[in-house]
Order: sequence, then structure tokens, then C-alpha cells
Amino acid sequence: MMKKFTAFLKTYALPIFAIFALVLGLAFVHGSRDASSAKAGRIPVVFWHEMGGPAEVQLDKMVDDFNKSQNKYEVIPQYQGVYDEAVQKIIQSHGTSASPAVFQSFDISTAQMMHSKYTTPVQKFIDEDNYDTSNISSVARSFYSNKGKQLAMPFNTSQPVLYYNASLFKKYGVTPPSKSPSYSEVTRAAEQLYKKSHHKVKGMTMEIYGWLLEEALANAHTSLINNGDGHTGNPTKINLNNPTTKKFLTWIRTNIKSGDFVNYGSGASAETNEIAAFLAGKLGIFVQSSAYIGQLTTGNKNKLGISYFPHPDGVKANGVGIGGAALWISNDKPAKTQRGAWEFIKFTQTAKNQAAWQKATGYLALNKNSQKTKTLQDLYKKIPAAKVPGEQLASAKPNNTNSGILMEGMQLTRELEQTAMETVYNGGNINSALNTADKAMNANLKTTNKADGR
Amino acid sequence: MLKSPAQSTPTSPLSVEKTKNKIADQEAKFTLNAKDKYFAWAFLGPSLLILGVFIFYPMVKTLYLSLFLTNTVGKTTVFVGLSNYINLLTSADYLSSLGVTLFYVFAVTIITIALGLVLANLASKRLPGIGLFRTLFSATMGVSVSVAAIFWLFIFNPSTGFLSLASTFLHLPQIPWLTDPTAAMWAVIITTVWMNLGFTFLILLGAMSSVPTTLYEAANIEGASSRFQFFHITIPSISPTLFFVSIITLIESFKSFGLIDLMTKGGPTNATNMLVYRIYKDAFYSGNFAQASAESIILTIIIALFTLLQFKVLEKRVNY
Amino acid sequence: MSITLRNVRKDYDAQTEVLKDISVKVETGEFFVIVGPSGCGKSTLLRMIAGLTPITAGEVSIDDKVVNDLAPKARKLTMVFQNYALFPFMNVWDNVAFGLKARKMDQADIKQRVDEALKMVNLTELAKRKPRELSGGQRQRVALARAVASDAKICLMDEPLSNLDAQLRIKMRQEIYALQRKLGLTLIYVTHDQVEAMTMADHIMVLNDKHVQQIGTPSEIYQNPANDFVAKFFGTPQINILNAKRSQTDNHVLDVDSDLEIALDEEVPAENVKIGIRPDDMKVEAAESVEANATVKNIEFLGDETIIYATLNSGEDIHVVVPGQVNYRIFQPIKVTADSNLMFFDADGNRMNLSKEAYVHA
Repeated sequence: MMKKFTAFLKTYALPIFAIFALVLGLAFVHGSRDASSAKAGRIPVVFWHEMGGPAEVQLDKMVDDFNKSQNKYEVIPQYQGVYDEAVQKIIQSHGTSASPAVFQSFDISTAQMMHSKYTTPVQKFIDEDNYDTSNISSVARSFYSNKGKQLAMPFNTSQPVLYYNASLFKKYGVTPPSKSPSYSEVTRAAEQLYKKSHHKVKGMTMEIYGWLLEEALANAHTSLINNGDGHTGNPTKINLNNPTTKKFLTWIRTNIKSGDFVNYGSGASAETNEIAAFLAGKLGIFVQSSAYIGQLTTGNKNKLGISYFPHPDGVKANGVGIGGAALWISNDKPAKTQRGAWEFIKFTQTAKNQAAWQKATGYLALNKNSQKTKTLQDLYKKIPAAKVPGEQLASAKPNNTNSGILMEGMQLTRELEQTAMETVYNGGNINSALNTADKAMNANLKTTNKADGR
Repeated sequence: MLKSPAQSTPTSPLSVEKTKNKIADQEAKFTLNAKDKYFAWAFLGPSLLILGVFIFYPMVKTLYLSLFLTNTVGKTTVFVGLSNYINLLTSADYLSSLGVTLFYVFAVTIITIALGLVLANLASKRLPGIGLFRTLFSATMGVSVSVAAIFWLFIFNPSTGFLSLASTFLHLPQIPWLTDPTAAMWAVIITTVWMNLGFTFLILLGAMSSVPTTLYEAANIEGASSRFQFFHITIPSISPTLFFVSIITLIESFKSFGLIDLMTKGGPTNATNMLVYRIYKDAFYSGNFAQASAESIILTIIIALFTLLQFKVLEKRVNY
Repeated sequence: MSITLRNVRKDYDAQTEVLKDISVKVETGEFFVIVGPSGCGKSTLLRMIAGLTPITAGEVSIDDKVVNDLAPKARKLTMVFQNYALFPFMNVWDNVAFGLKARKMDQADIKQRVDEALKMVNLTELAKRKPRELSGGQRQRVALARAVASDAKICLMDEPLSNLDAQLRIKMRQEIYALQRKLGLTLIYVTHDQVEAMTMADHIMVLNDKHVQQIGTPSEIYQNPANDFVAKFFGTPQINILNAKRSQTDNHVLDVDSDLEIALDEEVPAENVKIGIRPDDMKVEAAESVEANATVKNIEFLGDETIIYATLNSGEDIHVVVPGQVNYRIFQPIKVTADSNLMFFDADGNRMNLSKEAYVHA
């Protein structure tokens, strides 16, 4: 009996082991198949992005158009999930055959990408081609540049704007906020709407979102961190507890106290809820990304009003920075591939493509010439308010305070900003909430600098 | 042929001792020859490979990472010893996360078990139509985390949600379910309990129905009220199951992730920032792998302690 | 405390009748045994008295008070279950104290009662043990102690000895009997074992086929069974029941077959009659083939007596118990006779009272 069993083993042990190894091996090989699926004679350019829904459809169309426009490169788009997680995938796969040649990475990962030294700054190709960037929004470009050098090209770009339900304001006889409103103007509009509607309509909301807080600082020409928000040198000190932050939070606190403010919390569900309430006519004013314009115009029986991001009283609006993501070129691919990536990036920036992009997604057209295209002219005719975000973008003159915060660990910084906002929204002391955030943010910055040997 | 020791019947305690020694000697001399070794590796190889790649390596790597600082691309740079741990355990933020997690875990466990007991006790009665209730009570077992989260997000929606409409209708004060720190914690607890209840109910019902009916009959005759019977017969009879479900619920709650991610993202003001969710955010949002590793090790130790407790207590309690 | 059942009936549903028209009075301090084959409804009857199973029709009274709608605990009785119903997670002492605690009795009282009850069943030493650490007999005693500790004067027992081995059963039988007498309990005891019934009962109720077959003292039941079922149920080995016909030639004579006939003093009242003869009331002698009316089939020697299994010439099997040892071969022709204690049953099995002592001959 035992002998038979041993004989069985002698015959089959190795084959079984071999099959097992083969299965394991195949599992690893599988991943690289997509890159080799490019048509013969073309250089494959793998493109990682984080666009879902209608934006992905439009992006795929853009890629398709690019592939048809020439016969040297083939861009292969691959969806990688949400921004935050994609950053880690990009960094951890760098230097392997699975890494992309060109990838989309979101606004607050800029410093991280810069310090990783995993990318080729697009400035290299701009210089090689003498590519004229003057038509591309300067405030968007400055967000992804460091000391005059363009690191990446802005792609999907948005700015926060103030949305209001123009029909509701008319119904209750309240004057809506002006084109570039101050805090007190918004408070006045929100309070009146709340009162005249007999509390049926809430006046306003402001999502608990670090981006909006940072934009409030930018619009008041205030730095969050030293060294020009990181644009003139490595940051060493964070100062959230500054008069501008206090003004912003006090403004919100005023509205909470009057009862016209409604808190939807933070995150995607907060945005879903505020938009649902807005469309249902239960909310008068909210501040949110211009990218939501599509959702707010389709199926909205009420007239949509849009104003610029509010500014503190007595302070001239500095213009807000942008949000969204940029296109980066990996430096772990051959020069030919990198060149292909750059050709694709240039293609995304044309007036025609940017106009189509804005129409389809609500993101802002970066090319100034896009505004003259028939696509956008038709859109503005239909929805006049859709013009306002583009005007806000064009009106901003870039400087250190409205060009984003060039610091690593921005995700955590935003978390801490949001915790401070939540504390204040829930009735906590403004000063101590900001001090707590500063303490944690500075400790984190210190660790980051230590880890990076700076 | 050698007579095997098992076949010889020992006649005195002395000879038992001798036999034992003999076996021990044989075992000591037992060595693998080259051929046997080949087979041993052939059989152990695949599982060792899998364990090594997917368990041992990540474990050691996590421990290693937790002793360093990691830079922007997740590479280790400065060795800091235990200071990641010390920083965590002295940070008010982390300790609050720990406290929040413990509160959540124990609240979920206690409420799940209590409700599960009540429902199972009701459903264990022989009444007409009880089958329908059994199905209803266990219905949440098949519900996935995402479905549960979306379902309850609808209910908790401050403008259009069921709870908001109901409290408007009844002229009760509105509870800001997901934006107030205390309410958000309870929103997450309610949703978790709701999800856990089906499984807990079924397990407890199974345990209850295996209690011999004569125990209840004897108690009935001896004049015990149904309350007295529940606490003095049902509970002690199902105590091993009860303990088992409690520990499972406890450990599962420590690992709660999906609900938090979908409902509160750890907020507001970190009120629902449980240990597991924190690890995820620190590692995959903030890219702080060193700190996330240290947090993982701490969480592993906490869960290991509870598992150990489970084994220790089960050893004593299972066989009453 | 006496218990009276009046026309008690139990149906589980319209089709399933379990018990029909049960009436009996159990006197105070009586050891009353309900006996019958399995499935005859005896446990159901006991549970109806306890109040665990509702009654379909009729009346159950305790001390002349109708208790039909009274909850079990209000009937002031105790019950010992076949599986003892001990709480596995409690030690012996707590098991005995359970009912007293449930009734919120005074602590000191509980202690005194439990200690006494345990002493009475010789379990004082094992008070701290858990049920699983006890032998079957010891568990049985815990169940008894529980009944003892309760003050109730009525005790119901449902097959309490059936999980024990034969030796232990005899011992516990005696202990239960002694306890019942000592405490003056009114005890209703359900069993399928006729020996338990015979040895312990003051009165026996024989249940079969939904009906009461007979109620009486053990000796009445043994000596004057109401029908052939009762006759067959009691006595080991079983009574011989022989089918006989009124003789064609003499209507005073019953023929089992041509070689075995019974002459009566009176006229045989029916065409078909069953004759019951207890095995030890038969006589056997060796005989020549011509004389013989049976053939030996098998012989079992039990020490003090011998059981002879034989086949009558009619083909019917009989068994005979004779004292001491006998020397018969298998297939040896024998002559079987009986001259006393004959019982007669009609075709339906009901007892016929045929006045005169009969005589059986070959």
C-alpha cells in the first residue's frame, strides 16, 4: 500500500509542482498584456487616469481622436480608481513594467510627485518644441510649476464658485449675491432668504472641505505655510491659525447662529446631499467646484445663478486657485515613449479639445481660445451662468498664495483642516481648533522633512 | 519481525514506563533519509511558498517599516526605533481614535447581542406565522456592506431622509445624523448592528433551539417565571455560543472598514475614525507607511489579545 | 391530595386521537402506576395532569378542584422526567435549589430543604458536582431530590428508570418506593415495564389503544385481567393464549385441537373462545407419540426453573415453566395438561366468566 503511494508520488509530485508554478507565473504575466496590445509599428503609451462617468467617456474619445490623428503612438487609457489611491499606485509601481508612461495625478499630490523625482518635467518638452503656453490659463499653469519650471500640464481644472438658486431669490424678493460677493453680502442674502421663506429654505452651506478653506485663504492673499506657500523654498512652518482663517470661520459661525446655515458634513455624501437639497429648492446658496455645473443645469427647473468665490469684507479678491488634476510624464520610460506622452498632452490642450471637455464635463477650458469656439458659445447662449467660472479663472493673476500649496503630505493636512472645520461647525472654539490643527500639521511636517533628510 | 510496543499488553505500571521509554527512543532515532526529505519539501514547498509570500513577508516588512521614517515614495530613510509607537501612544489624536474604536466595538457587540437575544427568544416561541419573522429577522445576513451603507445613508439624509421626514412630521428636533460627532457615531453603530443582527440572530436561535424542552417544562412546573427561565436556563445554556458570537462580533467590529469609508470617512472631527480606517488613510491617502505600519502592529496586538481571551475563556466555559 | 380524571380526552388534531374517555381517581398517598406499551398515550396523560399539555375534553381535578386551566406551577406538584431534566451548567445543590429559588423562597429555608433532600437521597457528598460528573443513578437521585425538596405532595414520574441498567433499576425502584412511603406522596408513575408496575403500585392503570384497559391492584390485574391484552401484558414469560372452538359433539367441551380439549361444567356460550393459561400453570410429561399432544422445540434452563418451548399438534406455540431441571430432547413428543387458573376470553379478547373450574386433558 505504502509502496504504491510512494510510486504515485514519484510519478506525479513534479508535474503537480510544475502546474502550480505555471499558474502562479501566469497570474503575474497577465498584467502586462495591455501594453503590448498596441497596433504593430506604434509605440504604446500607457495612460493612467482617474476619470469616471461622463468624463471617462469624453476622455476615451479624446484618446481615440489622438490615436487617429497620427500613426506613431498609441495611447492606451487605463482607469485607476480614485485620486488618493491612484497616487500610491503610481509611486509604488514606478520602475516596473506595469508603470504608466503618462498619468493623471491630482492637485495636492504636486509636491509629492516633484520630490519623488519619478517624472520628467514637461518644461523639457516645452523648451524643445518652443511650445507657446501663453494661451493656457496662467493660474492653472502656476499651480503645477516650481520656480518657473513647468512640472506637469494642468488637465481637468475647476475652481470653486458660489451657486445660488436665482428663482428662489426672485420668488421671495431677495437680492441675490453680486458677481464677486463679500462675506457679509452672502450672509445678508442667506439670512433674508431664510427669513422670507419662513424657514422653509435654508440660506447657505459650505462643505467641510479643506480645499474650500485653502481657497478662502488664497482669495484673501494669505499663505498657509511659509516660503510662499512652498513656492520659494521648502516649507518648515504651517500657520492655519491666522486672521484670514478666523474671518472665514467666524463668517460661517455667524450664519450657523442665525439658523440659515445647514451643515452637510464632509466627503462625497455631503456633496450629494447639498446638491439634492439645492435642486429640491430647500437650499439657497452653496459653494462648490465648478465641475458640478453639469449636474446643476440638467433637470433643474429653477434658474441657476453663479458668482465668484466670496472674499472677506474690505479685502480685494485675489482670485482663487484651481483644483483638479494634471498630466505627468514618467521618467522610467524610453525617450521615444516620453515624447509620445508629450504629444498626447499637447493634443489635450488644443482650443477645440478643451472646449469639448468643458461642455461634456463641467471642467474649465484651459485654452483661452476655447471661449471663441462655437461649442462654448452655444453653451453660454443656453446657460448664461455657465460663463461665470471661466471668467473667474481668467480674472485671477497668479501669485504664490493662489497657486496651490506646494508641500508634501497635503492629504493629511486637509484631513486636519477638516477636523478643525468640523470642530467649529459643531460649536467648538475657533482659536483652539486651529491651534490643535497647527500643532498636528507642524509635527507631521517636521517628520516629513526629517524623513526626506531636509 | 519486530514486535510493536503497542501490541504487548503491559502487566504492571513498571512495564508501562518501559514501553514509553522505548517509544521515546525510537522517536529520537527517527531521521529523514534523502528521499524522504525530497518528498517532505515537495509537499511543504507550495504552502510554505504561499505563506511566505503572502503572510510572513508582509508581516516582517510591516514590523520593519514601523521602525523607520518613510519618505514621499514610501522608502525607509531614517531609523527611529520605537519612536513611531511612542508618538502614536502619546498623541491625543491616536488615543482618541483608540477610545472611539473601543466605544464602537463594545457598543456594537453589546447592542447586537442584546437585540439578537431578544429577537431569537421571540422567534424560538412556537407561534403561528413565526417562520415569517424568522426569515425577516435573519434577512440582513445577505446584505453587503455597500448596500447597507447606501440604504442607511438614505435614511439618515438630513433633507430628504426618512428620519428627517419622520421627525418633521412628529415635530421632533432634527438630529444631524452624519454631521454631529455623537450622532454620527450612533449612526455607524446602528448600521453595523443592523448588518450584524441577521447572523447573530440565526446563531443564537440555533443555540436556543438545541436547549432540551424538558428543562423549560421542569422549570414551569417548579414555578419559574419566563423571565427567570430566560436568565437562569436560556442564557447559561447558550453561554458558549453567546461568548463565541460576542468575540466574533468584537473582532469583526475592530476590522470595520467599508461602512466607515462609505458613511463618514472617519469624521466628523474624527468621531468615527476607527483604528483600521486610520491605518488605511495614513498609508494610502497620506502615504505615511511608517506610521501606518506601527498602527497595524498595535491593532494586531489588540486583536490578538482578544483572540487569546477567547481561547482562554472558551477552554473553561465551553464544557459546562 | 387526590387526583381525579373525568372523561379526559386528547386529540392532536381532528384525525389524531390520542386518548379517549379516561376516568380514574387517584387517592391521597397512593402509588399509582400508569402502564402500557410505547405510544399508548401514557406520557401524554401524565403531561396533561402536570398541565404541560392542554386537555381536549374532560376534567382534571386536584383535591376536587378542577385545574384544567391552571398553569403547571399553580398545580402544586413536581415531576421527574425520563432524561431527568437536570440543568447541565448547575451543580447538584443548585439543581435541587432551582425551583425554590424560582419561587423566591427565603435563603435559609432553601438551604435547609436542599440539604435535607440531598441527605435523603444520599447525595450530600456530591453536592458540588456538575451533572456530567455523575453516574446515571446519581443523576436520577438528583432528580428525586428536586422533587423531595419541593413541598408539593403530588409527584409525577415519567419513565424515571428507563435510562438505567437492570441492576440499578431494581435498587432505584426500592428507593423510590421507600421515599414515596416516607414522604406520603401521591405518586403517579408512568412506565412501560410491567415489573415496575407490579412491584411498586398500589393501583395500576393499564392503557392501550387510546383506552383504559383495566384499573386495579397488582394482584387483581394479574389474577383477573379484564381482557387478553392485560393478561398478556403482565407475567414473564407471557401467558399462553390458545384459540379454541366449541366441540361439535359436546357443547360443554372446548377443542384447541383434536388432542387438546377442555371440558367445562357449563355450556360453552360462544363458538370461538380464547383460553389463557399462565406458563407455570401447565404441566408437562414425557409421552409416547400416540399419547402426546405437543413437540419440544427448545429448552431454556434458568437455574431454579426451566422454560420449555413446544408446538402443539394444532401448530400453536406454547411455553411452559417447570421447576428445577428437566431432561427433554428437542423434537421429543410430550403431553401438556393444565387443570387450574384457566382464563377465558371471547373473540374480541374480553374476559368471560365461566363459573366452574375447568379441566384440560389430551
